[in-house]
Parts: sequence; structure tokens; C-alpha cells
Amino acid sequence: MTAAGRWTPLFVLAGRHGVLIVFVLLVAVMFVSKSTFGTYQNLVNVLQQNSVIGIIACGMTFAIILGGFDLSVGSVTALASVVGATLMIDIGTFGIPAGILGAVVSCLIVGATNGWLIAYLGVNPFVATLGTMTVVRGLLYVATNASPRFGVPYSFTNVGLGYLLGVPIPAILFLLVALLLGFVLHRTRFGHYVYAVGGNALASAEMGIDAARVRFAVYVLVSACASVSGIILIGQTASATPQAALGYELTAIAAVIVGGASLGGGRGRMAGTIVGVFLLGVVANGLNLFGVSPFWQPVATGLILIAAVAFDGYSKRGGFASV
Amino acid sequence: MTNDSPIVHDPLLRVVAIKKNFGAVVALEDVALQIPRGEITGLVGDNGAGKSTLIKIISGVLTPDSGMIEFEGKAANFASPAEARVQGIETVYQDLALVWNLPVWANVYLGRELTYGPKFMHILDKPAMHSTTNNMLKRFVRAVPPVGESVEFLSGGQRQVVAIARAGAWGSKLILMDEPTAALGIAETKAVEDVIFGLKQQGLTILVISHNLDQIFRITDGIWVLRRGGVIGYRQTARTRPEEIVSMITGAATLSRTSS
Repeated sequence: MTAAGRWTPLFVLAGRHGVLIVFVLLVAVMFVSKSTFGTYQNLVNVLQQNSVIGIIACGMTFAIILGGFDLSVGSVTALASVVGATLMIDIGTFGIPAGILGAVVSCLIVGATNGWLIAYLGVNPFVATLGTMTVVRGLLYVATNASPRFGVPYSFTNVGLGYLLGVPIPAILFLLVALLLGFVLHRTRFGHYVYAVGGNALASAEMGIDAARVRFAVYVLVSACASVSGIILIGQTASATPQAALGYELTAIAAVIVGGASLGGGRGRMAGTIVGVFLLGVVANGLNLFGVSPFWQPVATGLILIAAVAFDGYSKRGGFASV
Repeated sequence: MTNDSPIVHDPLLRVVAIKKNFGAVVALEDVALQIPRGEITGLVGDNGAGKSTLIKIISGVLTPDSGMIEFEGKAANFASPAEARVQGIETVYQDLALVWNLPVWANVYLGRELTYGPKFMHILDKPAMHSTTNNMLKRFVRAVPPVGESVEFLSGGQRQVVAIARAGAWGSKLILMDEPTAALGIAETKAVEDVIFGLKQQGLTILVISHNLDQIFRITDGIWVLRRGGVIGYRQTARTRPEEIVSMITGAATLSRTSS
């Protein structure tokens, strides 16, 4: 048996679970090298800080497997925060349910707009969601005069900062969204069609799948996830913040890609996205614990993204040479 | 009467006086032909003769400007491929209509997935689809490609075999194929032709477009020739020669037809 032959199973393993292995090693190194990392308070922090982006990434996983992506999620998250918080502040009784309802409905309208543009008018996902991203953010600045408003009922901060059995509520919401959407993606016909349309839209249509309907539904789903994140942000800031969630779209896309999904469509898994989210989250946390300036965090995220994609290409082609 | 017999008794499909224009271009002009039940019928003609347009009309992709299609003795102008499929007409597309990142079983069941649970959820029954695919394909294929493998890891011939066997697997009666072996090597072409014979043995009727006359003579029972949107004639394969078909395709046939 040659050396290469002996190592092949390891390469296969690394290729299939590369991100997971890197993540486990990273966590192990952090545990050993920094005693504060393993404390309950720090782990809770990591969960708390990554749940908002994690929920968005769960939705983004669908869009990326479909062969597209959604740049408007950051703006939509801010939309949910502004609409929801404003209603909670201005309506006395029943302000909280009205705020939640308003946040979800306003986000679904943006999601339906994205879906309609992309699925039925054939607009490129980059152009369509760049457009709604800019329009929604602009409207938020116009409506709020670009300044936050405070006064959300104190009880609602539980949603952002509260705990259930020692676990942050946002993390529990993230877990629920991830389980639900993981089930939808991997076990239902709809999820199966997301893979089919993302892999070959023409073939799917020829075999009788309504590809436009699948696309439309996915973009609505992504916005629905963003609305949940926006509602959590209300709970964390107790305010309507038009600048909220700036740049979240790119962090979410990075997490999904690091998790093994392919921008070409047809590939990716929900579990991979979760690992991707926490890999980026633990790196950010580690930099913080070691006293590195937070300005370095985007640098780390970008480098991890490039490394993950390069490694993915390497393990598929068996070499770095271009084909 | 020679071997020219345009009247087929009890045909599976009859095309009656079909006309189709694309703007000022006449694609099909008064096309009438019959497809015999249980046979492999070839459809030949030069580029632009209207072969693909005719196949697309039969499969419901295009609607004719006038004329009608009769399938199993009933008028059947299909508004969509889905309607044609329900009636038992399957098309093997030139692009094969396979999703490469999905395994063979998922491609065979594409658009017809087995599900269970509440209707709005449509939970996939993956084990059932995975375990039944092999038997579905074995009816037509001697060497069934591994059903759990992604289509991207199959050879070109294996992909073609999957696409064709899928068309036969769904209780269909008529299978339309547009150039099924255009991009394949010799061994792969042979494998695909074996699958086509397998379909015929199971009692299916096949209409195949091919530019390869050797192949047409190897696999068909009868041949329809089109030229410039019109039907030139029908020949039983056993009673004609490639030279005659070529002359019909190119136009030299008008002479031989009037003389016979």
C-alpha cells in the first residue's frame, strides 16, 4: 500500500467534514490556551452574539443552494427592528403583539418583492436584492430621520437578553429555526426541490417542477428569517434602530459558504451552516479574548472565507491547479 | 403498392394536418403521419425540416396553429408537457433533464417524489425511492448504474441510460427522443440502443429523431421522412435502403415516388 493510498481515507474525511474538524480543533485550542474561553459567561456570550446572524444564515442557506443569494437581509432585519419597535413604543396595550406582527408582515412584503422580481420577472438575484437592500435602508433613514427611537417596553428585552434554563433566549430561537429549516431542507419535498432547481433549473422545469414557485418561496423564507432576527434585535437594544444589522448579509453569506455550500447552487447543508456561523463566531470571540482590536475581525472572517473556498476546490479537484 | 404504406392500422398516435408557423417562417405545412403501436419509428430529415418542431408539438411544448393530434384514438392537443405526460407521452430531452448534484434515484423520481405525512409537509420517503429505483430501471437496462450515486459521477452513456429508462419507468406508452446518442462514443451508443430495444420489448412505442442513418437502420421498424416542413413519405425499414432515404431527405425522391 502506498503512502498516498494509506492517507486517502483521511483526505476524504477532511474533504467531507473539513469545516467541522477545523471548528473542533479551534474550540479545543481555545479551551486549552485561554481559561476564560470555557467559562459559562463566555460561552453564553458566543451563543448570544451569533444567534441573530445564525438565524439569517439559516434562511440564506436556502437561497444559496438555490443558486442565488439575498443581499437585502441586513436591511430587512433593520426594517423588522424599526417597524416592530415603533409599533411597540406607540401602541399602548397590545403594542408587543402588534409590533411582532408588523415586523413580520413588513419583512414578508420585501421578501415577496424579491421573490417576484427574481422568480417571475427573471431579474438577477444580485441586482434584485441589491436594489431592495438599498431602497429599504433608504426608506428607513427617511422614516426615522436616521436616528434611533427608544422606549420599547422593558419586558420585551427578555427576548433579546433573557434566559431559559440558563440558555439565552436568542440561542433557543436560533436552535428552533435551525431544526425547523433543517427539517424542511433535508426531509421535505420543498427542500428537495430547492436542491433540484439550484442544481439544474431547466431540467427541473422539464420534469414538471414549478421552479418559479420554489424561487419565490425561498426569498420569502429568507426575509421571514430576517424578521425573526430583527425582532431579537429589538429585545437586545430596546429601540428602533435604522442602522441595525449593517453588513449582516455578507457575514451570513460567508458563514453559509464556510459551511460548505456552493455559490454555484445545488450544494450545502444546514448543519454546515451552523458550524460556519460558530466557526466565525468563535474566531471573533478568540480575537476579543486575546485582546486583539475588533477591527481585525473582518480580516479574519475574509481570510477564513477564502481559505474555506480554496480548500473546497482543492479537495474536489485533487490539486490547486486550475482545470 | 410498394413498401410505401402511409396508412398504419390502429396507430398509437395520429398527426392530422398540422400547421405551424413561426412568424413568416413556415415550420410545418399540412403534416400528417401515424406512429404504429409497439414499434420504433424513426423521424428523419435535413436541418430545418421540422422534426424537432413536430416532436415539441406532440409532447405539448408547442401548440400547432391548426390540425390535430390523436392519441389512442382520442383527440389530444396537449397544452403542456405535464398534460402529455399524464396521458403517457414522455420526452427524453436533448439535455437529458437530469440534475447532476442529485443521486440517480432522485432523478428518476424527479417531479414525482414519494411522500408521506400531512399533505402540506410532503415529507420525502427517501428509503422507498432509493430501494425501488433499481427494479424500475432493471426492466429496460441490463447494467443499472448505482442508484445512490450522484449523476455527475456517471459516464455520459450511463446518464443517457438513466434519462431514457426513467422515461419508460412511469407507465408511459409513447417515448419521444431527440438525438439520443448525438454526443456519445461507440460503446455508449450501443448501451443506449440496448435500452431503446428494452423499452420496445416492454411494449412501449418509440419515436426517435436521429441524423445517424446507420443508427436509424439499426434500431427502427419504420421511417418517416420530412422535408421543408412537409411529409415526404414512410418506409418500412426492412424494405428500404439508406440510398432511398437519403434521396427522400435531399429531394431527389420526388422522382422515385412518382415512378413507383
